[in-house]
Amino acid sequence: MNRPSQPWRLASRPLFVLAVGSMAAEVSAGVFGGGFAGVVQAAFAAACAWWTWREFEAAPRWRRQATATAAGLAGIVVVWFLARHGRPVEATGLAGVIGMAAGCWLGLAGIHLALSGSTGVTGVARAVLDEAVRMRASLGLALLVLVLVPTLPLALDHSERLQYRMQFLLSWSLGITGVILALLTIVLACGSICGDIDSGRIHMTLVKPLRRWEYLLGKWLGIALFDLLMVALVGAGTATFVRLLAATEATDAQDRAAVTEQVLTARIALQPEPANRAEYDAAIGAAIRRLEDDEPDAFVRNPGAARRRIRQEYDWQWHTVTPDTVSTFVFRGLGGVKRQAAGRADATLQLQLKPRAYNVDVDLADVRFAIWLNDRPWPMTDGVHAEQTLPTQAVHVLDLPVDAVDEQGDLRVTIANRNLVPAGETQPTAITFSPGDGLRILHRSGGFDGNFIRCLAVIWIKLTMVAAVAVAAASCLGLPMAILASLVIYATALGSGFLRDALGLYNVVSTSVLGSMAERAGRAASLLGEFRFYEAFRMLFGSVTDLALWLTPAFSDFDAVGRLATGMLIPSADVLACLWRIGLVYPLVVGLAAWALFERRDLIRSST
Amino acid sequence: MIATDEKRQDPASGTARPADAADGVDIKCVGLTKTFRDFWMRPRVRAVEGVDLEVRRGQVYGLLGPNGSGKSTTIKMILGLISPTSGRIAVLGRRPRDVASKQRIGYLPEESYLYRFLSARETLDYYGRLFRLPARLRRERIDMLLEMVGLDAVEHRPVGEFSKGMQRRVGLAQSLINDPQLLILDEPTSGMDPVGAKQIKDLIADLGRRGKTVLLCTHQLSDVEDLCDRVAIMFGGRVRAEGTCDELLEQEDRTTIRTAALPPAVVAEVRGVLERHGIGPVAVERPRRRMESLFLEIVEQARVEGARTSGATSGGRVADFLRSGTESPDVGVATPVGPVADVTPTAGVPAATPPVAPPSGTSVATSSATPAATSAATSPPPAAQPAGPIDTALIDRLTNRQR
Repeated sequence: MNRPSQPWRLASRPLFVLAVGSMAAEVSAGVFGGGFAGVVQAAFAAACAWWTWREFEAAPRWRRQATATAAGLAGIVVVWFLARHGRPVEATGLAGVIGMAAGCWLGLAGIHLALSGSTGVTGVARAVLDEAVRMRASLGLALLVLVLVPTLPLALDHSERLQYRMQFLLSWSLGITGVILALLTIVLACGSICGDIDSGRIHMTLVKPLRRWEYLLGKWLGIALFDLLMVALVGAGTATFVRLLAATEATDAQDRAAVTEQVLTARIALQPEPANRAEYDAAIGAAIRRLEDDEPDAFVRNPGAARRRIRQEYDWQWHTVTPDTVSTFVFRGLGGVKRQAAGRADATLQLQLKPRAYNVDVDLADVRFAIWLNDRPWPMTDGVHAEQTLPTQAVHVLDLPVDAVDEQGDLRVTIANRNLVPAGETQPTAITFSPGDGLRILHRSGGFDGNFIRCLAVIWIKLTMVAAVAVAAASCLGLPMAILASLVIYATALGSGFLRDALGLYNVVSTSVLGSMAERAGRAASLLGEFRFYEAFRMLFGSVTDLALWLTPAFSDFDAVGRLATGMLIPSADVLACLWRIGLVYPLVVGLAAWALFERRDLIRSST
Repeated sequence: MIATDEKRQDPASGTARPADAADGVDIKCVGLTKTFRDFWMRPRVRAVEGVDLEVRRGQVYGLLGPNGSGKSTTIKMILGLISPTSGRIAVLGRRPRDVASKQRIGYLPEESYLYRFLSARETLDYYGRLFRLPARLRRERIDMLLEMVGLDAVEHRPVGEFSKGMQRRVGLAQSLINDPQLLILDEPTSGMDPVGAKQIKDLIADLGRRGKTVLLCTHQLSDVEDLCDRVAIMFGGRVRAEGTCDELLEQEDRTTIRTAALPPAVVAEVRGVLERHGIGPVAVERPRRRMESLFLEIVEQARVEGARTSGATSGGRVADFLRSGTESPDVGVATPVGPVADVTPTAGVPAATPPVAPPSGTSVATSSATPAATSAATSPPPAAQPAGPIDTALIDRLTNRQR
């Protein structure tokens, strides 16, 4: 009769190895120095974990738990060693990895508990979770995420300004992990469902009292919950390291202020209006009428596009300050900010500028200009109106006093072009602020923490959509095609903003998808008639892109990570809109289509 | 005779069995046809063609046929995994996809389709959840089933590390976790060692006695002969023969007399008597033991001697929750037939458990047909061995007869 092996007895030898290793590392630290000793300590720690796995072959019930505990314990010993031997950065990174792994373990246990109900959907969801941490591909990607987040801070250039380091950490930590988690989601969903079908496991599952839609829903639920756990872990890790980084020394006081005012905050942006809106609109109207008279053909073909073009031209013109002139930009609706700042003399508004200069080598050019706030010169230095000199093509933030806002809550920013005449030119260059993000007022509207959580929510919602797409693809395609289709849809969703700009407007004036496709088809036909095959193919390819963009939700409409890293508010309304469009409507449509196909599918590989 | 023989009467005759009182039909297929199409939707393979089946409650029904005969396709249609091209199916009085009927079905596929990373216990837990069994009931049943299939000692090992036979045992256990009324078993003994195979056969016989309906799909002819009340033999997607084992196997032109070992003088005398009556040729021989009984005896001996194994143990008794049906108190035990004189028809009533043939005994096989049948006499017909394997040519003969 085999006696059951006692867990403590099995654990004793690996623990002995760890203890011996720690002593050996301490001795080597004295003799050879910290580097070699660190390697010794890490090697013995790894040996401890490996040996535990081997020893517990005799007690399979405890094998995974024992190995995880041994690895965690060994990791803590290594962290302790690194911290005592002058390697705090590495110790922090390793502690982060251990913390995230432990969090993952606890989180999985929690989700298992939450799914402990005896229903088919939760049963399938639990099995997916088990699969997620035991399927090699998904486990590898999950581990990559758990290691990447804590080690990313090690890659930062510490000579860089703290503001940029923090923005880098935020955007990369959340951006890269978002992509990896999307890949994990696709691999897990397709691997799990196609694996079930290909191996015949689905026969065992679907002969149970489980409807086919319950099976698909269970798979989706399991993956969505696993994604939720991973996003929460990434969020916790990123938040911790951002806080740790924020506590380090900034380059200067301005850098420190930028961290507080431009990164660890949530601001909303106000776009400027023309000083006289009615006059401005009248000018545009007159220009449109002139064009109608001069080029009636353009209007007959597409009046909407012609009007849009004229409006854009005026916008650019209005955002340009020509030499020796002044332009006034009015920001309205700042009454609330002024009231909130009442009594605080140092309260500021941020004027964000991204100037561009024409007629010169823009890479090297600086622009010079002077500013008036509500017709008062600003800033005054020693009683003199100081000019601003800023490099072009970079984003600058000027702190304006909230006091400058008038009682109606308006702030008129008047800018005078003070550029010098460049060498070889006869007159100074114009200064342009591109409409949209070239000139705007930013003011604080919420805290970083709330913004961070909203950002994580948006990332998770996008992942649930990817999960729905992958589940749908796997339910009606084989493994390679399912992964490929999911990747194409994910890539289209991810690059939708770029694709829309780059291809969506190519050669057509129609604004609706169907109109654009019809227009392209008509043009392709006429090009074919002229035997211009390549152009015709390009035209038809454009309609495929149109269709793909129409069928795919645009992730770029909800660029949460970009907004978080630049300290811009992610409004709750945006999160809800994202939830509605990307998290509910799209998955529901895709899911119903998948169910309709899956319901009729013969789940068999061969004919007998 | 062993007590189980009592149940081997044709249920249609309405005798003896409690389950027959419920005059239900658990599986009914009418004109079942399945044509598989290729990528371009062109019909490629007609796997099943116009199959009519009727499995009544409490029957152990054998679906027999060579590879590619359409057995598994028929089963998958009955289970709702694939849709028939035409024809109708009712399972437990409902459509095959109906969740309420699936609640009462147990299914063991022809291969063990299990999650390799789950342990035996986790696997059963997973399937128990799909049946919406409450946690406590699930735990109790898993304990009993693991003990029953002999995997309780290795319940925490991942199924992927199991041998094929051990995986089959897990598959068998999962098919029973819901205490099914209808058990559909596709090649249940494939990949099993003889101990496991015997255990499964005992189990099937036992479940049949308790009023459960069993649809057994196999090409192990001995399994069918030992277990089934009725048999359908398929070939080329059609049912070529259907009936009780007795109907299909009885050879009316032969007689077997089994007695304790006879001295040569008595044999010569019997031979002389038979020849005087013009009966011949007469084959007299000692019956052989079956390899299965020898194997089981050796394993049992090893177990008694306390030999260790890291694989599956022999398993315990049938899980309590599966014992809810009615049965006679003395059934389910493989009772060796002693050296008694027992005159039976040639194709004797198949026993639920193949009885161990008497080590000493004589079997006399005679043919009442013309002396031309000498070849059959020199090599006794398969059916002459009690519960011996069916001649594999049987299918061919039957299918030819139907054509």
